[in-house]
Amino acid sequence: MVFLRFAWAVPALRAPAREAAGTAKVQAEDFHDQIRPGLIAHLPRLKRFADVVVGERAGATALLRRALNVMLAEQHRYRRDRALDAWAFAEIYATWLAEVSDAEDPEAQQSIAEGSLAALIGRDADWETVRFLAGLPVEHRLMLLLVYGEGFDYAEAGRVLDISADMIAARLIRISAAFADRLCAARRRKRTAGAEAVDRSNLS
Amino acid sequence: MTELSDELLVAYVDGRLARKQSSAVEKVLEQDDVLAKRVKALKDAHNRLEAAFDAILAGEELEVGGPEPERAGVFVPWAAAAKTALAGIGLAAAFALMVLGYGWPLSVEDFTRTSFGSGDPEYTGSIEPSWQETAARAQGLLSRETLEVGLESQSNLDLVALELGKAIGPSLKIPALDTQGYRFERGQLLRAGDQPLAQLLYLGRSGGPLALFARKGGDGEAPTFRRYGGVGSVAWSEDGISYLLAGEGDEPALMTLAKAIRSLPQPGAPRDASDGARP
Repeated sequence: MVFLRFAWAVPALRAPAREAAGTAKVQAEDFHDQIRPGLIAHLPRLKRFADVVVGERAGATALLRRALNVMLAEQHRYRRDRALDAWAFAEIYATWLAEVSDAEDPEAQQSIAEGSLAALIGRDADWETVRFLAGLPVEHRLMLLLVYGEGFDYAEAGRVLDISADMIAARLIRISAAFADRLCAARRRKRTAGAEAVDRSNLS
Repeated sequence: MTELSDELLVAYVDGRLARKQSSAVEKVLEQDDVLAKRVKALKDAHNRLEAAFDAILAGEELEVGGPEPERAGVFVPWAAAAKTALAGIGLAAAFALMVLGYGWPLSVEDFTRTSFGSGDPEYTGSIEPSWQETAARAQGLLSRETLEVGLESQSNLDLVALELGKAIGPSLKIPALDTQGYRFERGQLLRAGDQPLAQLLYLGRSGGPLALFARKGGDGEAPTFRRYGGVGSVAWSEDGISYLLAGEGDEPALMTLAKAIRSLPQPGAPRDASDGARP
């Protein structure tokens, strides 16, 4: 019986929120039993979320572990009308916020090292993106992750971060425009440097 | 130029406009180069962010998905099980374990261990290491012997030859490169892991220092040029010693210097008067 329930419940729990939104998820009486396998199925994505919060692998693993403990201990708070992944993201963020508010210098907890972030991204990273992301506050990084990485709509992303969809939209426009400007400026600098090098070699 | 706000353009790039609105924007873009460039820049920004997040996820899937499949708590078999309608007695048993609460703790432990246990990931290519990483790696080159020899002794070529020859081997070449335009400044003993590593430093008329590193090992490898960021290098080995010449020079300049060093006679061998390198 348990076995059969798992068969139809897990795909719904595993689906990204954008696919799962609006669909019936778990209808069994003891649906909370599905949270564990659901969370396990989401682990890589949850870990990425923690990575983007903390900015380095070991700290993110520790944060995720603490948040998972909270989620399992308080799984009765999970409501079946909410996508499990979105709930889990919100729980990780809430865990981090609670810890940061207790820290001596909460502002310092926002910044992440470019090198660590680059290591997380790996070989596919480009330096402009790394610098840009590392310079953003956590909430903005997560906004980008949820919308561009997870494909959440603004309302879902807003629910995770506990801000309105309008706020998400407005900030995303500002952040996207700033990043585009920055990339253009970097390209201009490169072109100028190249032209100067050619001028120098012609003079010499 | 048509006035289209960043708000609309970002929504267009993010695919959040209705089909009719998208078509209208596309028509405007066909006729307006400035706006088309702006959209291109926004798309580039969007793509880079997506690529960065995808890369992090790929790394985590590798990390989290790596544990041995025979462990009951590992999640990968569960995903496969869902896809194959959970057929098989072994999977049923594993699921029962998970429901009973055994699988989950195992999963978390495995996940934590593999993630903490990851090594220092390489990130080369376009990614520059932080100054902290560069400095920490440089610190790893220093040994006790590095500081036990006084600076004065480090600039005496004969003393350096004696000291480094003892650590690296009698066939170590300590070239003077005055005829190539580089003045010997000092030599010191570093370490590469638990192996001694000799470093000879030279200065040209301008620019940064030129360094010749040497350590035991290697057998007759031909000189090969490689660039690490702004530093060019030529590596080769001869007579059981591996050399690395590193500096700001370009490939031809460094290869010429390497050739000059390679052409030097072995220490103790009869010297050829035509060799301009070793005094």
